[in-house]
This record gives sequence, structure tokens and C-alpha cells, in this order.
Amino acid sequence: MLPRASADVLPKPLPGRDTAIQYGVALLTVILIAAPLLPVLYQSVLDRALYDSGQQLTLGNFGRLLRTDGFGLVIWNTLVFATLTTIISQTLGTLAAVLFGRTNMPFARLFGELFLWPIYLSALVLSFGWYTIYGPAGYLTLLVQSIFDGAPWNLYTLPGMAMIAGVSQAPVAYIYCMSSASITDPTLEEAARVAGAGTLRTLFRITLPLLLPAIAYSAVLNFTVGLELLAIPLVFGDPAGITVLTTFLYNNGVASARPDHGLVATAAVFMLAAVCVLVWLQGRLLGNTRRFVTLGGKATRPRPFRLNSLRWPLCICSAVYITATVVLPIGALLLRAFTSLLSPMVPISEVLTLGNFASMFEYPVYLRSIWNSFIVSTLGGAVATALVALIAIIVLRSDFRWRSPLHYIALFPRAVPGVVAGIGFFYAFALVPGLGGLRNTIWILVAAFTMHFIPVGLGAVAPMLLQMSPDFDRAARTQGADWWTTSWRIVLPLLRPALVACFIILFITFFKEYTTAIFLFAPGSEVIGTTLLQAWTQGEVGLVSALATIQVLVIGVCVTAARALLGVKLYG
Amino acid sequence: MAELVIEQLHKRFGPVKAIDDVNIHVADGEFVTLLGPSGCGKSTTLGAIAGLDQPTSGRIRVGGKTYFDGDKAIFLPPEARNCGLVFQSYALWPHMTVYDNVVFPLKLRKVSTADCKRRVEESLALVEMERFQDRYPHQLSGGQQQRVALARTLVYQPEILLLDEPLSNLDAKLRDRARTWLAELRTRLGLTTIYVTHDQVEALALSDRIVVMNGGRISQIGTPQEIYTRPADSFVADFIGTTNFLNGDVVGAPDADGQTLVSLADGQRVLIKSDRRPSLGDKVTFAYRPEQMRIAAANDQAVGGSIVDADVVSHSYVGGRWQIGLNVGGNQIRIETQDATTDRRLRLWLPLTGGIMFTERTHGKSH
Repeated sequence: MLPRASADVLPKPLPGRDTAIQYGVALLTVILIAAPLLPVLYQSVLDRALYDSGQQLTLGNFGRLLRTDGFGLVIWNTLVFATLTTIISQTLGTLAAVLFGRTNMPFARLFGELFLWPIYLSALVLSFGWYTIYGPAGYLTLLVQSIFDGAPWNLYTLPGMAMIAGVSQAPVAYIYCMSSASITDPTLEEAARVAGAGTLRTLFRITLPLLLPAIAYSAVLNFTVGLELLAIPLVFGDPAGITVLTTFLYNNGVASARPDHGLVATAAVFMLAAVCVLVWLQGRLLGNTRRFVTLGGKATRPRPFRLNSLRWPLCICSAVYITATVVLPIGALLLRAFTSLLSPMVPISEVLTLGNFASMFEYPVYLRSIWNSFIVSTLGGAVATALVALIAIIVLRSDFRWRSPLHYIALFPRAVPGVVAGIGFFYAFALVPGLGGLRNTIWILVAAFTMHFIPVGLGAVAPMLLQMSPDFDRAARTQGADWWTTSWRIVLPLLRPALVACFIILFITFFKEYTTAIFLFAPGSEVIGTTLLQAWTQGEVGLVSALATIQVLVIGVCVTAARALLGVKLYG
Repeated sequence: MAELVIEQLHKRFGPVKAIDDVNIHVADGEFVTLLGPSGCGKSTTLGAIAGLDQPTSGRIRVGGKTYFDGDKAIFLPPEARNCGLVFQSYALWPHMTVYDNVVFPLKLRKVSTADCKRRVEESLALVEMERFQDRYPHQLSGGQQQRVALARTLVYQPEILLLDEPLSNLDAKLRDRARTWLAELRTRLGLTTIYVTHDQVEALALSDRIVVMNGGRISQIGTPQEIYTRPADSFVADFIGTTNFLNGDVVGAPDADGQTLVSLADGQRVLIKSDRRPSLGDKVTFAYRPEQMRIAAANDQAVGGSIVDADVVSHSYVGGRWQIGLNVGGNQIRIETQDATTDRRLRLWLPLTGGIMFTERTHGKSH
């Protein structure tokens, strides 16, 4: 028997601490998510703007919306665009995760890094990049036109737009698959190999099914992104007369001289309802998440698939893809920032200039929006990561009575397009007395971004939490630790890779966000995205390229610094 | 250290009864094994004791402390129970060193730093892992991880020790060593211990008593000897040790001495003595351990038993002895002998006493 001086005292339970934390986080989440939604719903049944006096309840807005010319075509365009985008991004992302993450292909890691580039940038910046290289006067378009008769592509179509959107969203699928694949028990694959399954069969029967939670989670996010994407339809759709829901809302809301709030709110409600149904369906498809538990208490290490004779052919395919979709558009955009014109007909040495940057620094609005973007992303990203971490452990690792409703509520912003969230927060801050002081500050942006991207954060944290053996927390609980101590000492530290990834994803997402911000920014609280869009509408291509270059540089530096500081390998 | 009392414990998942009326009384310092195939309810029972699973109804008490009482709506959370649970997966926290893992429960109990250091060292010394304090779990072998997991549990001197298949992740050789070592440790510690396993060898070697579970119910509680020699039903007989089952009909009702004459399907007759008294015409199953049967020489008389003819189905060398598969009146059985046989047919001697008769008609391999 072990000698003992005196009996140990079990740690004194702190009555109610666990419960207080759980209820506090739940309440905060509910308030944050209800804040923009209730005003939008309210507005949709009012006969005039909700800040006017004398408004009356009405259902007339719905009829008015349906009678609006071409609304059916708008819906059709939106669905086609979102579906194509999701298919392209999930296919590319999953392929890349397996190819770059789990095989012995040459340069796999380099390609993996480059593959992620689109997500560092907003779809807005990427659109400008594609415009610069593949647009009607694009560098490559002109080059191809001089050889053949006309260019074989046209970005001003639904498939053309979906291609850009798919490429820009593929990294989301890639990241989720990678964080899941890197902690999958390799013996599961080896067991299949031993059972006689070849590389392909193992891939399709074992590896990909185990990636299902990651693929499903990111597919929901990407479809929603496809629905709520404003930049690409605005840059390529509007000139060609292709309208989707977001551009419909933008044109009738922001861009209109006299915004029709009843119509805008009703269209927003319509969008909400549609995405709600889809999100619900997705939840049904995913089913029992316990089936995907792959991380046991035993430490293991993944081993790569051998490609053998396919190594180099696949490597060349990957190189072509990366060059065409990542290197060329971004490279051309950066080059455009340092030139007054970009064309294969004019030698680059003749047009090199720093004029774009010089004129950018002449206007304080550009510098201010860069600074604001940085503050919103850092502070907002940290606050949001903390909130997401708390929600995740309450929902997935506690016996909180309302954890299922909380899970549902926390994922609900997936069904809230950025445009809707923007309009909603605008209404909310106009309605609630006392919040008026925050209205023209960046804090309204922090609140709106946090609310809007809780599901994105959960998507980064939940797969790892689901795959982490519950024995880790059970061991701590049986040894005398209450729920919060267990979470603080065991679960959250183990989650650290996922939390760092979550912060970086949120940082980048916040830094490049523009859709929500369009409805909320005011002179003094501009961010890069809103300023970019304004400059583009004014036709300042040089300034847009220069500002986009700043965004690329800031994000690049921040990501590199964060990785060096934290000493973790992001994205697998 | 304390006694453990489980009374009328039930756990339902919808219509499925994971635990169905389980009653176990474990004395202070006793080592009791819950044994059964996967899904028999043994792990759920262990989870209920630790507070990780909430039972539907019943009572669990350790010493003077009520852990669970369905009637009085008492359910202590796991952290208020002071149980020690060693997981099948070991559940060593991968972000902490061995020292940090083991000191964690002491830190929770606000033990002074000096005491912490001493007690962690003592505890690690007990499992012969004191040299590995600064290692991380992934730098240890499975066997070493298992020892650290045990040290982490013993260091805070829990009321009772719960072991969930702690040896199942080790390879066979290591498992043998770990079993011997665990048996020594158990004698030294004298902790009230509940051990969950599906391995009958572990159960027989380590336990004071064994609880055999099947389908959420207890099939039998007894010492290893009782369980082995007097299994309560054919499930227990089959689960513990290698058992050969013969099916037959009673053609001679038991006499005063308890001797019953049974006819096999092919008409051969076997005399068996049993406490159970079936009636004439009953269908019965009776069981023998391999070591109870032997091959009879051509001129042997059926002294102290019966002799039946058997067809040789297979024979294989298993190191030091031969294992022979036989067909006796349609029943597949296995015996072990010292010598190889080339005969296609041989005579088998079955003892009068020692075999076990079950009045239910089951074949040993059919559940």
C-alpha cells in the first residue's frame, strides 16, 4: 500500500460555476445571433422603414417581391451559381487534400501552400485578378486572341463566375479535410490495404468516407458562400445582365437612392428560409457524428500513400492548375499595381510606375481602411475564437441541458447571408437605444463579423473535438476535476491546433470581409473591402490593384508571423 | 478503500436493455472481474460506477457514500466520487509529460508541491516508471503508457479502482508479463477493484470472484474455481475455458445416486452423474472440459465412465501436444493428447462425474 500522511480532500465543488459559464455563453450567443435576425423579420412585415413613424403590419411585401420583374430568373441564377461553386470547390479541395496531404507526390507541400492562396484574399480581390488576366482585355485573353480567333472562355457567364468562386472556396474544403486527415488513424487505411484493397479502393472506401464530416461541413459553408457571394456577380454578372439574389439586394438596398426596406427585408427573409432548409437537410445527411471518431487515446502518426508511376504526371497536372488559377491571377494583379497598364502589346518596362501607390497614400480613407481592417481582424478574431471555443466545448463536451438547441443556434448564421446580417445589424443598431454611439465605429463590424462567422469557427474546431477521444475528459472527471477545470486544463489545450487554425481562418475572413460591412460602414469606419468596391465602381483599376496588393501583403505577413510565433504547422 | 454495493441496476437505451437487473456486492479489498463478450453490459456497468453513464434505475453505493439512487434522484457527478478508472485507451493526456499527467489529480486536491513531488515519484516507482517522468506519452510504448495510466490513478488513493480492459491493447507476451505484474501489485495494494475484461484467462488468474455477464444480465457470480468447474449454464461453460458439448435425450431417468443415461443422436449411450435431475425423454446438453476426456485403448472397459465411438475430423500439433477434432454422434468436440493419431476412428472415454448437464437444449457454439 502507498504510505499516506493524511487522506486527500476531494476538490471542493464550486457550486454552479459550470452552470453559470454554460448559461452565460448560451445567453451571449443567443443575443448575438438574434440581434440582426429579429429586425429583418420585423421589417419584412412593415409597410415602411422600421425607423419611420406610423408603420403598420402588412404581408404586402411578399406579394410585391414575387411580382417584381425577373425575380424567378434571379432565383434560378442564384441556385445554379451556388451549386456549381460548391461542386467545383469540394472536388478541387478534396482532391488537393488527398494529393497534397497524403501522398508522396513531389512538391506536394509547396503546392499545398500555393493552393491556399485564394482563401487569403477576398473573392473581390480574386475577381480583379481574374479580370486582369482572363477578362475581355486581360493579358492572357489578348495573347490567346492573337493566336486563335477569339478566346475560348468567357467569365461573364454563370459557369465562368462559378469557376472563380469554386477556386476561391476550394481551400475551405482543403483545410477541413486536411485537419481531419492529419489526425485520422493510419491503421484504418492500412487495415484496408492488408485486406487486399488497392490504393484507389482504399481511397474511396476508407479515406474519403472518413473525411465525410469535414467535406460535409465545408460543403454547407461553401454553398452558403455561393449564395451570399456579392463580389463575383457584381464584377462579372451585373455588366452581363446576370442578377443573383445578392446583387438584387445590393442594387435595391445600398446602390439605390431610395432603398425599399420592405422589399429588401422580404428578399432577405426569403433567402434565409431557403438556406435554413438546406442546412437542415445537410444536418440530416451527416447523421450520427460518433461514426466518425477516429482519434483514440493512443498516439499514432499518418503515413503517405505511394503513387509510384503516377507521381510525376500528377505533379505536372497540379503545377498547371496552380499556375493557371493561383499564380497568374494574383501575379497579374500585383504586377498591375506597379504598372499604369498591362497588355501583351506593350512591353512591361515601359509602363512600370509607383504612381498607383502614390495616389493611394494621398487619400486618408485608404490608410484608414487598412488600419481599421487590421484592428477588426485581430481583436475581432480573438474574441470570436474565444467564443467559438466555449460554444464548441459546451455543445460537444458537456452535459449542459440546452446543448442541442445551443448547437443549432450557433450554427444558424450559416443560414444568414452576409448581406442579411449586414442589413440586420444596421436595423438593430438603429432600433436599440444606447447602441447609437457604437454605430459609426468598428465595433459594430466586430459584432457583425463575429456573429456571421461563428459557424466558420465551429467548423474549424468541431471536427477535431469530435475526433478527440472522450476518454481524455472522462479521465480528468473521474479524478476529481469539474467540467470547467477539465475543459481549461485538458480539452482546450488539446484543441490548441484547431483553435490556432480557427483564429487564423477568422483573422483572414475578417480582414477580407466586405459584404456585411457594406451596410454598416460609415466615414471613419471603412475597411479595405468597402474601399476596394468603391474604387472599382469609380473605375480606379490602378488604385484597386494597389490596395489589393496591400491586403495580400498584410495577410501574408500576418500568417507568416503567426506561424513562426506559435510554432505550429497550419493547415496540416 | 470500501465495499461496493450495486442493487437492481438497470440501464436502457430506448428499447435496448444495456444493463438488466444487476446486483453485485463487492467486499472491501476484493478483486472482482466483470467478464463477458462485447455488448454484454460490463463496460456500461463500469461507467455507471464511475459516474460516466447515468443508469435508468437502481442503487450504487461505495462505503458510506451513495453514488447513485434512482428512487431518490441521487446522481453524483464523476468528480465527486473519488473513483480511480484506468481506461482501455489509457487516456494519457498527450500535451502533458508523464509527471504532469500523474500530478494532475494531486493538484486538483491542493496537495503541497513537496508532497506532490514525493507522491508522484512513489507512485511511478510502484509501476517502475520513475525514470520516465519527463517523457511525453507518445514517446512511451503501450505497456509503459498503461503503467503510467495506473500510476496516475493510484497516486490519489481512490476509494475503488476500476480497470477497463487495461491489457487488451498490449501484445500477447507483454500481456502475460503485465498480468503477472498486475497480480503482484493487486496483492500488495489490497484495493477494492472492479476489472472489466472479455479475456477469461485474465479473469481466472486475477480475480477473487468473477461476474459473468451476458446480454446485460448476470449469468453467474462465483470464484474462478466455481465458475470453471460448476458453470451455471451452457453460456458460462462455453465462455470460460474450452468446452465440448454433447446433445442427447434422457433414456434412463436419474437413479437415487443421480446417474442418468443419455442417448446421443446416433444411438450411442453415455452415463453421467449430475445434481440436476431431468425426466425421462428430456432433451439435455452435457459438457466436458478437454482435459476430462481421454482416448481409450481398444481393450479398455468403461470403468468410471462411458466409452463412445468417434470419427477423427482433424488433428493439429499445438506445441507439446496434439489437438484432435472429433465427431461424436453429430457433435463436434475437441480433445488434447500427448501422442499423434493416424486412426480415422477411435474410442473416447467420458467420465461419469465432472461433466456438467444442462437441461436446456443448446449447442455450445450456437449463441
